[in-house]
This record gives sequence, structure tokens and C-alpha cells, in this order.
Amino acid sequence: MSEAGSGASAPSSRTARGGRIRYVPAIAAGKLARWATRLRGGGSAFPGYLTNKLAPSLLPTLAGQFPYGVVFVLGSNGKTTTTHMISEVLRAHGLTVFTNPTGANLPQGVTSALLADATLTGRVRADVAVLEVDEGYAADLADVLSPKVIVALNVQIDQLYRFFETERVADMMLDAATRASHQVIVNRDDPYLSKIDERGLRGKAVYFGASAELVQASAHGLVNATDTRSDVAGIAGRAADSEVVSTRGREVTVVLDGAPIDLTLPARGLHYAVDAAAAVAAASGVLGSKFRAEAAAAGFAAMAPAYGRGEVIPLAPGRDDVVEFVMFKNAPSLQLNLDAMEGAPERVLMAIDEGTPDISWIYDVDFDALDHVDVVSGEKAHQVALRLAYAGVRVGVVEPDVAKAVELMRALPGTAGRRQFWLVNYEIMMQGRKLLGHGDQEVARR
Amino acid sequence: MSETTRIVQLYPDLLGVTGDRGNVAVFETRLRAAGAEVDVVAVGIGEPLPSDIDVLVIGNGPLSAMRRVGSDLHEKRPAIAEVFTSGAVVFAVGAGAELLSHGTISLEGERVDGLGLFPFTVTRSRERRVGYIVADSEHGQIVGFEDHAASWQLDAGAAPLAKVTAGRGSIGEPGVGAGESIRVGEAYATNVQGPALPLNPAWADAMLTAVLARRGLEYARTREHERLDALARGAREKILSLAHVTQITAIGL
Ligand SMILES: [Zn+2]
Repeated sequence: MSEAGSGASAPSSRTARGGRIRYVPAIAAGKLARWATRLRGGGSAFPGYLTNKLAPSLLPTLAGQFPYGVVFVLGSNGKTTTTHMISEVLRAHGLTVFTNPTGANLPQGVTSALLADATLTGRVRADVAVLEVDEGYAADLADVLSPKVIVALNVQIDQLYRFFETERVADMMLDAATRASHQVIVNRDDPYLSKIDERGLRGKAVYFGASAELVQASAHGLVNATDTRSDVAGIAGRAADSEVVSTRGREVTVVLDGAPIDLTLPARGLHYAVDAAAAVAAASGVLGSKFRAEAAAAGFAAMAPAYGRGEVIPLAPGRDDVVEFVMFKNAPSLQLNLDAMEGAPERVLMAIDEGTPDISWIYDVDFDALDHVDVVSGEKAHQVALRLAYAGVRVGVVEPDVAKAVELMRALPGTAGRRQFWLVNYEIMMQGRKLLGHGDQEVARR
Repeated sequence: MSETTRIVQLYPDLLGVTGDRGNVAVFETRLRAAGAEVDVVAVGIGEPLPSDIDVLVIGNGPLSAMRRVGSDLHEKRPAIAEVFTSGAVVFAVGAGAELLSHGTISLEGERVDGLGLFPFTVTRSRERRVGYIVADSEHGQIVGFEDHAASWQLDAGAAPLAKVTAGRGSIGEPGVGAGESIRVGEAYATNVQGPALPLNPAWADAMLTAVLARRGLEYARTREHERLDALARGAREKILSLAHVTQITAIGL
């Protein structure tokens, strides 16, 4: 959609051309810093930080640039996946999408993404911005970027050293949600979020979720945090506007406003299906009457799995066996991924390093889905193996060195399923991809 | 007393967010490996404590969960006090430990009353103490992970169980030389996570020896204990090598 630059970007067009030129030095410095950090081999937030320092008024000019507005995706788990889903559905409708790369969800991360796509005067040619945003910065960033749609995915027990109180995390999301001008897409299966106060919203609340049957059939439900502050620990009863009603592996059906949409997800698991229900609701909110179910399905079909989330890579050149990466960052994401397994896998690697400082929570996870793990690796290999031993899961080899662990996995005889599952944290997922010959540094969402 | 050794975990849903089930698993698995019959009972709000408790575990959770269990916990005070005097083992971590102390004063000055069974009072601090911790105790070197914003003021005459050699600790000036954890008879309060007991089998075995001795039984270690402890040794060595060099900053508080 090439009309992007004209009508709806009026607020910034009104700025005199000379006004925009003042951003050139800051953006040039940021682009240079970005080029330098990439040469060094890192996807750093520093360029964005530098540019925000040099030109603090740059980021707010983004707000008015997108004819279809700005979308925020918030949540303890699933931000990256959902941002990716919304982006692909909108692209399938012909829109050009500006988005931030995986995990670059702080203000400097958004500016770094801007540096990659913007002209020297700070123009981004896109119809819509879809941004994953860290809940700690969501309200402030909403004041700067005036999102049209805010998606509130879930409140789950995450890295405790950051936000120990789940009610605080919930309040940060609910507070940000009040700033959405058009719609707030809310998880009705989340104890905290389902109790959103609709009267405090500028936009309309739109609910998504999974049918009661699906939640019941899931071994540990959806693993959203218990509401510890109100008299109702569970959810408030809300009807879903967008609801997952069936899942068969990666094939799912979502009913949006009464109309069923069949989708093929990039990865298995009820949590991904719920993210998909949120994504179609958000896309529908952005597009209004232009939303088409066939285009939504086409968007999902075109979607490559995000790094580490159901991504499949050959175990070695010329071998049929593949590695399916299953990435987790906390107890809920590990539990939901384990629950999505179809029978105990034949070949399993599990590895965690110091990128996840505290792993006390692995004792809160049920490992019933596994009967054995072939190789345990990473700096925390012995801690992981110890937990698996107490869970009664057989462990083959404990090899803290990841490169050696990968060789051990390659040396195992092939199986009928021709598939290994590597359960890993983010850092080891990146390392593992590289060891398998897929070492792209920047995590793009294209 | 029944034949079966009984482990009770209090409020596992609300106070059990830092792998507290792992401490229960250690008691259960190691007792079974030693040949004991074990049953594990989860007790929530509104549910009575069973009789004949050998081990009582209460774990960690947010302040909102502490408030939530408050009135139920105070109703259970006589039964819990009896567990303390019976010689059974009590293992309380983080918020669970605070609820069994005199109480907690939040950053806003709000007081959450505890049961006063451990001799300390807790003041929540703005700074969070996060990272690996190592401390010397009568049960050997305790290792684990700490993640709390709590300073424990001990009653006159009370002493810490362990002395910090790496990390921050809960008692006194944070850092090397600070105190960590407290013992009253066979009852322990701690801010060591990891969870603590899988990483510290000697500490667990000291408690389990007491549990069975109270029943006139001997705690016999087996090859299963050796297998678990070989893995624990590997984990401890790694943590000891990192504890002095790793700095983790808590953000967002
Ligand atoms: Zn195997």
C-alpha cells in the first residue's frame, strides 16, 4: 500500500522539512553505531540508546507515520510469536509492516529497529507498526507512540528477579491497555487480565481464548498466574470474541466473531493456538472491514517458524534427521511446550546456560512428557540433570560443553521418527543453530 | 504414630513459585530410597493440617500471596506450633519463612503478621539481593541462589545458621560475613533457593536422619543417594566456581 506516505502521516508532514532535518545527525550517528556493532557481531540496543539520547523527540514522530496505526503486543510469554503472527496476517492483506526484531522490546530496541528502516530524516515507509513491548515500559511507550491496538497476552510467572509480584506485572499491562485508542485485545483465560475494568478504557475490550474443552484437555491448562490479590483466584467469566475451538497438531480452528477460520500454525501447542486467536483479533482490529479470513489463513501459511519456536534444522548436512528447537525461558513456556509433545520423544537434548540465572522453577515443571533425555548440556547441565533425576527421567550423558553435546547428539543412531527435540534456553538455541550451520546474528522477523 | 512418614506442603499453589516442590521431592525421594514409606499431603486454604506430621514444608511467593493465606494460617497456628514442639522437621523458604517469623514490614510500611515461631522480624528493602550464594554452616557449605528483598532482624539471643562467603545473605550487612538462614530445633527458615535441598544433600540428610530417629529408625544411604549426590556435586562445583564472579543486577524494582 503505497498511499502510506500521504494522508495519514499528516502529523509529521506538518513538521517543516527543516524540522525533520534536525534528526539527520542523530540518525546518522545511530546508523553508524548500528553498522559498527553489527560488524562486531552483535544485535545491540546501543545504537537506539545513542539515538534516543541525541534526539529524544525522534521516537514520538513515529506515532503519526503509520496510516493503520501502531500495535503493541504485551505479555509474559508469546510476545515474539504473536507479533510475528500479526505482522504476517497484515502483510497477507497487502500492508507493509514495520516491526522490531525479536526481544528488542525496550524503547532503545524500538529505536534501533527504526534506525534499520528509516531514512536519514526519520521516515519509515510502512502502513502499520507492530511492536512487542516489555511490560515495564509499555505505559510510557504508549504515551509516546499512541497505539491504536494493544494486545495483552498473559501474566505468567516469569523471571522472578525482575518483577517478583505477578500483580505488578498485571497492573503494568492493564495500565498500558487504558492507552489504546481503538481496541484492547485481552486474554479472557488469564485470571488477572480477564478482570480488566472496561470502564477505564479508551478503546473497546475484545476477548480471546481457548474453549473450555481445550483448556481442560491440556495437561496443565494454560499455566497463567493465579490471581493472589482478589477473592476470585481464577478467571472472570467472559465470552470470547476470538476463540480456539479445535487443535489437531498444527491445524487449528479459531472462531472470530462467529465465523470459523482454519489456520496452520508454525508450531504445535495450545499456547501457540491461543496466540493465534489473539493475532487474528488484533489484525481484525487494525483492518476493520478490510479483514479477510482467507488472507489471515494465507498469512499463517506463509509464516516461517520464529527462531527456536518449532524451527526445524537438519542435524547434519546430507542427513534426513532433523532437529526441532523447543525454546523456553520460564516454567510456563517449558510446561506448555512439554504438554504439546505427541508422545515421549525418542531423541532429546536439554540444555540451559547462565543466560537464565535462576532455574529454581524447573522443579515447578512436570516432566511426565519425557521418559528420558539423551544429553543434558550447558553451564547448568548438572542442575538440570539433578532435577530430571528427581523427576524420574532417565539421563544418558551430562556434557556441559554444548559443542561436544551437539556431537554426541549427531552420533546417536537415527530413529524412525528422524527427529530430535532440543529443549533449550534462548542463548543455547542461538549457539545450537550456529553449530548446525545456521548462525545468523540478527534475529529478524521477516 | 502411623507407619508412614508424612510430608506436608502448605499452600503449594500460592507459596510455591521458586521450585519449592523440589524440596518436597528431596524429602520424599530420599526417604523412599532409604526404605521408608512416605505420603505427601498438600494443604491449602480451608483444609485442616493432618495429624502425625514428620516434615512440614512452606515455600516462597509474592507479598499478595502472603496476605491471602494470612487469616487461614493464623487459624492453623496451634497445629503448626505443635509441629515445631513435636520435633518434626520444618523447612520454610522466603515468604513461607517470613510468615512463620514475627512478621514482615513492607516497603510501604504495611505489616503482615507472622506466627512468631521463628525468632526474627523481616523488613523489605528496595534493593533486591539476587545471585548465587555460598554460606558455611554446621551442615557444611550451603550453596544456592538467592532472590529476595528481605532483611531479617533476629531476636536477642538468636544466631544465624550460616555465614555468607559469597553472595548477600539475609541477616546483617549484605555480603561476605552476613548471616543466612536460622535454625530452631529441627525447624529451618531460609532464603536459599535453587531449590536448596537438591543442591545441599548433606543438609537434607541431617534433617532426614532426625526425622527417622524420632521414629526410632536409622536413615540408611543407598546407591540411589549416591547417584543423586554425584549430580549434586557437579552442580555445586559449577556454582562455587561462579559464585564469586557472577553479578546479577535486579532491574525494574
Ligand atoms: Zn534416546
